[in-house]
Order: sequence, then structure tokens, then C-alpha cells
Amino acid sequence: MSERSRSDWPIVAGLAIPSIFLLGPFVWLILSSLKTEDEIATANPFAMPQMAMYQNYLDAWRIGGFGELIINSAINVVAVLLLTIAICAPAGYAFAKMRFRGANIVFYALILGLTVPIQAIIVPLYQLLSGLGLLDSLLGVTLAQTGNGVPFGVFLMRNFFRTVPDELVEAAKIDGCSHWRILTRIFLPVSQPALLALVVISAMSTWNDFFLPLVVLISPEAQTLPLGLVRFAGSYTTDHRLVFAGTVISFLPIVLLYIATQRRFTEGLTQGALKG
Amino acid sequence: MNAAASRTVPAGQARPERMVPPMPLASRQMRRNRDVGHDGMARAALFLAPALAIYGLFTLVPIGATLGLSVTDAAGLNSVARFNGAANYVSLAGDPIFWTALRQTVVWLVLHVLLAGGVGFALALAIAQLRATQVFFRSALFLPHVVSLAVVGVIWAKIYDPFFGLINGGLHAIGLDSLARGWLSEPALVLFSVNVASSWQGFGLYMLLFLAGLQNIDHSLYDAAEIDGASPWRKLLHVTIPGLRDVMTFVVSLALINGLKGFATIWVMTQGGPFYRSELLTTYIYKLAFQFQEQGRAAALCVILSLIAIAITIVFNRWREKQP
Repeated sequence: MSERSRSDWPIVAGLAIPSIFLLGPFVWLILSSLKTEDEIATANPFAMPQMAMYQNYLDAWRIGGFGELIINSAINVVAVLLLTIAICAPAGYAFAKMRFRGANIVFYALILGLTVPIQAIIVPLYQLLSGLGLLDSLLGVTLAQTGNGVPFGVFLMRNFFRTVPDELVEAAKIDGCSHWRILTRIFLPVSQPALLALVVISAMSTWNDFFLPLVVLISPEAQTLPLGLVRFAGSYTTDHRLVFAGTVISFLPIVLLYIATQRRFTEGLTQGALKG
Repeated sequence: MNAAASRTVPAGQARPERMVPPMPLASRQMRRNRDVGHDGMARAALFLAPALAIYGLFTLVPIGATLGLSVTDAAGLNSVARFNGAANYVSLAGDPIFWTALRQTVVWLVLHVLLAGGVGFALALAIAQLRATQVFFRSALFLPHVVSLAVVGVIWAKIYDPFFGLINGGLHAIGLDSLARGWLSEPALVLFSVNVASSWQGFGLYMLLFLAGLQNIDHSLYDAAEIDGASPWRKLLHVTIPGLRDVMTFVVSLALINGLKGFATIWVMTQGGPFYRSELLTTYIYKLAFQFQEQGRAAALCVILSLIAIAITIVFNRWREKQP
């Protein structure tokens, strides 16, 4: 009984100070993004803005082209997700429930790609995209990110599909189902936890990707949000109010999405990290 | 279920496959009797082909091509590359910047494990004790992790700004100007400063993983320890930490690999400077390949980076397998 009736307060008090330090940067950014340039120059981080300068957001949005950046990043994420699920689910199924020669070799080839960081293949990858005419295009970035994410997606789906009893597959086959029907009608509907994990992890890594867009994307129209913000901050180093507002614009969409879906988000991320 | 579809299931051409995990004899028997579960390479290939095609083209081929490029004098994208043996590796071995970047990468990894892993562990221990407010604290403290590392770089470049940044400005506001530093301009501080930014973004994931691990510890062990009159410290040492062993191994390996891939914060905040004092292997690869146009040498460095990643993975897999 003592366990249940124990109060949270002593621990909450202990967590207060680390929480202020860890979350303070968000508060400071939002306050600073509402200040005038003169107020920022007084260098007092604890001062409140005299009056909220919403104008900073309008200016940053217009000058930085954040609308376009957000749309580009959203297209990039959705395309990677659709492609990844469409190609990794069948491959994961093949590993989990089909028996074929060469499975070992394919398996190790995938593990290799899971281990080697993207930075370590960037030189030929750049040449390849250049040869395919996919430099400076979101399509090129999307294909490369999808290819790089295949091992994780396949292992995640395989590990989940393996937990579906073989008897189910056999019964469906006796009823005359092809593998394709078994996958789409039986496996995918029961795989929501695995799909959730795949969606959360792929979406996060794509949305946050910086290295590949930095190398491949040049023109402003093709940039993704993190890259666009970095270039924006680099061009307006002395317009601090613009950079503060642009930074808040850059993290707000994903923070709001996280808050709206946090239970599923957390669950998907934890499951994906542990089972992938 | 369509009866005609059964005709499309191939019966004979499949060969038995060796990698299949052992299954109960009854089930194996059933497979043989009813001709189910025999899938030829052709049928599996249809399921594997799309994934393998994209993976092969955009990851596997570049891995091989990197090995090839690393033994050529490729420089500039239009020149013809010629075989030059181990010259790139020899040249890297004599390059002081390479050794600086390698040493700093190791320091960076260790700092990331200690800072991000340590903070994640400590917070998880505290949050796991909460009842009503657990979800709130878990969600709130996870927030930094959803911010992209590049955006984190922009944020922390402002926080570290020498004049109006949160840190120096805050120190000034409370009259501690003497503690103000050039966090990103002092060579002795810069690697640590940027690592703090990266670790601020990273700890949330490790915290979640530790929390998941803590939930799996058998609660009766704590009750038993309580009856024995164990102090909180002894409970941590003898129940919690042994119970978290798998998660800990996993978090350390994940943090090492994440650290090894670290690039965005460094690139945004310092580009490896001042005086290469925040150069990592990844930033040096970028410079060699895309600024100095020395693709051959960059590829050799890529091979070294890959070998480090592979070594970390193998060591941790062995370690995990050896544990009881």
C-alpha cells in the first residue's frame, strides 16, 4: 500500500532543476524570437519582450521561404515512408516466411549496409546521383535515403512477421491464398505495431537528415527544412530576430506533431529501436 | 479466399533451404505432406527484388565503389582516376589532421556516451519512481530529441553566442561575467561545447530505452531487497543495474554508433574549427571530398570510418552473446 500512496513530490522537486536546464533553451528561443533587435542586444536572457514581435515570424517566413521548405520536407518524408513500406514489407515477409536459397548472403549484405554510416559512402553516391541526373533533386535524396533505410526496415518487418504463427500461413495456403494475399490481407493488418515503429523511425530520420541534402541539394527550391534553416542562419548572421523566429518555425511542426501523437510516437520509437 | 489462386502456388521447383530456424517436427511434417512452404528463389525474388534493387544501387554498390576509389588517385570529378595502391592510406597516415580528427572522434564518442547516456540513465531512474506525473516528465524531457541535429546546431550556436547568448548573457545577468567563455572559439573547449549540444538532442532516446528496461525488471526483486533492509544505493547496485544490463549494452552501442555518425552539429556550429580542434572523421571526409576535391583520399578515410563502425558492431554483438 505504501508503494501506491507515495507522493511524487520529492522526486518532482529533484527533477525541477535538471528540467529547467534541459528545457530552458526552448523557452529562451521562443522569448527571443518575440523580441526586437535592440532588446536582443541588451543580452539579458531573463528579460521578457516589451511587446510580442509577431512581425519577426512574418519576416522570417517570407525571407526564408519556410513555406516551401516545410512542403519539401513533407514531400520527402511521405515519399520515403510510402516507398519504404512498399518495399520492406514484402522483403521482410520473404525472410520471415519463405524459404529460398541464398538467404544467408542477402542477410549479410543487409547487415553490412546497416553498419556502414552514410558518410562513408558519400563519394560514389554523389557520383551515382550525378550520373543519374538526380543531383539537386528531392527525388535523388528520397531514393538514396530509402535505399539506406532498407536494412532497418526489412529487419524490423522480418522480426515482427516471425512472431506470426506459421499455422496461419499454412491454413491460408490450404485455402488457396497466394503469398501476396497472405501478406496484404493477413500480415499487414496485424502488423500495426511494427508499421508504427517503421513510420516513426523512418519519418524522424528523413525529416532530420542533414548530411545527404547538404551534399546533394543546391538550389533554394529543392532544399529541405534543416538545410534551409542552416543556410538562412548563415545568410542573416546579424539579424538575430530573424534567425530566432526561423529556428522556432523549424522545430515547431515536429514538436506539435510529437505532442499530438506522443503516446504512439514514443511507443513506435522504443519498439523500433529495441526490435530493429 | 479465391480457390483458383491455389494453382499459382508452385509445388515442385523449390529446394529446401538451410537457414530456416528449427521448427517443431509436427509442423515440419505438415509442410512436407501438403507441399506448402516450398518457395523457390524465383518466388522469393519477387518479394525481395524491389528492396534489393534500391538498396543495392544506393548503398551496396557505393560501399564497393568506395573500396575501389580508395586505391585510386581520383581528384576532381572530371579527371580520370588511376590505380595508386595504398598511396591514399599512406598519405592519411602521415597527415596530422587525420590523427587529430581520429583522436577527437574517440573523445567525441566517449563524451556522447557519458553525457547523453548518463543523463538519460539518471533521468530514467528518477522518472521511473513517479506515478501521476510520469507521463508528463517523460514526454517533456524527450522534447529535445525530436529537434533535428542541424536545427540543434543553429540553436546552440545562439546559446553559445559570446555576447547575447543564453549562457554568457545569463552569467552576465547574475553578475558572474568572469565565468563567460568563448565556448566555440576557445580550442580547448570547442569539442566539449558542441558535444553538449549533440548530447542534449540525444539523451531523450536513451532515457526512453532505459525506462522501457526498468519496466521489465521483476518488481518482486525490489520487494525482496526491501525486506532484507537494503539501502536505495544497494538496490540500485544489486537489482537495477544488473536488470538493465541488456539495455545498457544496447544503449552504449547505439550511442557509440550515433556518435560516430555525428556531423550536423559540428558542421553547423564550427565546421571543424578553430584550428581543426573540433574536426571529426565525418567532417574531414566532407572537406576532402567536396571542398579539397581529393576523392581518393576521402574514400580511404571512408573505409577507415566503416571499419570502425563494423568493429564497434562486432564487439558489441559478441559481448551481448557472451552475457548469460
